[in-house]
Amino acid sequence: MPVTAGMQATEQGPGIQGPGIQGPGINECWRQIGVSGDRSCPELQEHLHCRNCPTYAEIARSLLDRPLPAGYSEEWARHFARGADRPEPEGGARSVVLFRLGEEWLGLPTTTCHEIAEPRRIHSLPHRRTGAVLGIVNVRGELLICMSLPELLGIDTGGGPSDGGKIAVFRRLIVIGADERRVAFEVDEVHGMHSYGVRDQLAVPATIGKSASTVIQAMLSWQGRTVGCLNEALLLAMIDRSIA
Amino acid sequence: MLFLMFRLGQDRYLLDAGQVEEVLPLLSVKALPAAPAGIVGAINYRGAPVPLIDLSLLALGRAAAPLLSTRIILVRYPVGAGEHALLGLIAERAIETVARDPADFVATGVEAGMPPYLGPVASDDRGLIQRIRAEALLPQAIREILFQKPATHS
Repeated sequence: MPVTAGMQATEQGPGIQGPGIQGPGINECWRQIGVSGDRSCPELQEHLHCRNCPTYAEIARSLLDRPLPAGYSEEWARHFARGADRPEPEGGARSVVLFRLGEEWLGLPTTTCHEIAEPRRIHSLPHRRTGAVLGIVNVRGELLICMSLPELLGIDTGGGPSDGGKIAVFRRLIVIGADERRVAFEVDEVHGMHSYGVRDQLAVPATIGKSASTVIQAMLSWQGRTVGCLNEALLLAMIDRSIA
Repeated sequence: MLFLMFRLGQDRYLLDAGQVEEVLPLLSVKALPAAPAGIVGAINYRGAPVPLIDLSLLALGRAAAPLLSTRIILVRYPVGAGEHALLGLIAERAIETVARDPADFVATGVEAGMPPYLGPVASDDRGLIQRIRAEALLPQAIREILFQKPATHS
């Protein structure tokens, strides 16, 4: 569900406004007893910083209770009226979780992803030293099979990110699957969710080799990169085959 | 289960987020003269007209306040078997989502005589929140007027 409205307003949290917000009913408690004041607020014991405090969040939300700026409705009306020349095909907006394997960015439908967790120890399985099954991981008490997605999709992860380790890389464990059959796999980085329209999809090039093309259903342009969107049904079927 | 929260007056209400197509800012509305009660007009959403209901007007008898926090919730309104049409709802303070277990909601006990769109309630530390059944927002007569198919459509 994309929320477009009022993004400009929410991005300006109470803390980063310069001379203070003048408005009815705004109590700038973070400047008086919070982290920008004398830190005497008893809630700080629990929340450590004002940005974790529900009162602060409530004040931020109340900033949206302001009259519409001049031309606001008209401008947004024009924005959403566009698209008459580019009709949206069936399907509307879709959402994928973007993650990285080596230098390859991939997307998986958000509804397939159950959980993104920190990587943990993988308990290897006897007599399964090769192949796409790495072993068993414990995710909140549930034992899940941990797959190697690079192995499964034929992606080379040896190189690492091309920008040479300037930024810290956080490996993550993604839990996917239908209710009863859940599996986990490790990725090098998770970007987060990305919402796109069907018309932003590009067709998969016919020249794509390897086994990845059988599970990639569409390509997506994202921040100057091309992202392969995986088809969850095909991926789960492929995982099932490699477990058996 | 994820819900989109909004307010009618001082009270908080929830819509099932699965029914919500998109949340839009308060667009300028094309008025529909002599439209049925509750319909305030139509908006142009990506080239197609979408009828608009003001929830405050429908439930409280006063129009929603023109504030940044007042938004248009586009819901997928069921019309016929497995088909949906978009319906815009103007709602105040539509700026939060909450995750609740559907089992938390219990009947209010005063359903008789209440509008059919009011659903069961759940409690939290700030009071009660009530679910809204979007599919019951429109009376049958208005539903037929709004979403009737052109005769050429098979």
